[in-house]
Amino acid sequence: MRALLSRLAGALLVWAAFACAAGDAFSAELKTGAFKPPRPAPEMSLRGSDGAELKLAHYRGKVVALGFGYTTCPDVCPTTLAYLAQAREKLGPAGRDMQVVYITVDPERDSLERLRAYIGGFDPTFVGGTGTPEQLAEVRKAYGIVIAREDVPESKSAYWVHHSSFVYLIDRAGYLRALLPFGVKVDDIVHDVKTLLGD
Amino acid sequence: MATRVVRGLVCGVVLAAATAVSSQPEEAKVRVDSAWARRAVMIRSNDANAFTGTGAVYATLVNAGPKSDALVAVATDAAGVAEIHETFEESGLSRMRQVARLDVAPGAKVELKPGGYHIMLINLARDLKAGEAIKLTLVFQNAGKIAVTAQIR
Repeated sequence: MRALLSRLAGALLVWAAFACAAGDAFSAELKTGAFKPPRPAPEMSLRGSDGAELKLAHYRGKVVALGFGYTTCPDVCPTTLAYLAQAREKLGPAGRDMQVVYITVDPERDSLERLRAYIGGFDPTFVGGTGTPEQLAEVRKAYGIVIAREDVPESKSAYWVHHSSFVYLIDRAGYLRALLPFGVKVDDIVHDVKTLLGD
Repeated sequence: MATRVVRGLVCGVVLAAATAVSSQPEEAKVRVDSAWARRAVMIRSNDANAFTGTGAVYATLVNAGPKSDALVAVATDAAGVAEIHETFEESGLSRMRQVARLDVAPGAKVELKPGGYHIMLINLARDLKAGEAIKLTLVFQNAGKIAVTAQIR
């Protein structure tokens, strides 16, 4: 029951984020769901797949695309990471100022090495994040990310971690600005990152 | 006159038989179009039991025949196992489930695409590099085995 409640609360948060984005003048400049007013992106202190501490403050001056997933995920996560990689490539030289941060929802299986190999396969500049289950739960709560682990004895993949699939865009000053739903067009990501870089 | 009719009939029967024979390996009623695989990295580790990573293959299944058919299994040497899966949204969560069979009605198409049906590759045997291709065998209930090449991108 408590799990269900927390899941509902998470879904409500996401809904609220979209609802806030709907029909306001400010969001007209962004193609995806925009936050109004922008609010500071909750800080985190995790271990990064680049070997450094993972803190958003390290990326001030860049636009951060923040997502959640895991390395055993075959469809949603690779699609998201591939689109982000394509967007960064399309941005050309400006892509240097776009940082993708991808945080695991499966710390049991995702070591730093696995994260580095998996995420680096899309773009070597992408940084994966992990931490203790408690640290990760705290970050998910701050961002309204919901997960549900399911054991799948009928599948060879042992267990899955269903998870929220949207991606946040955080501006150069560290403010939450947009929410990209799963499957959003690469050109829309490019447009919004470019818009935020021009802010 | 009678002989001409008989000759005509015989010719007709022979021709019909020949036509039937020539169409004998029956034209494929079920086919697999536009197969592609998402690039993926095989995760190497010292632990022999650890997952070496997963991948996904997408395609369009087309049933041009009069009978319904179903994709029931997939085999490939690119991964330890290939399973038929579906991604779906529920209460703000992106979820996945395994599908035992994927029905394709007569005259219908079923699209396997990101965020929907896909063939999940479990325990990759190698890196799936953009520009290369992998081979798969898709097993249909009626049409049997169909060899498919999926371009990696």
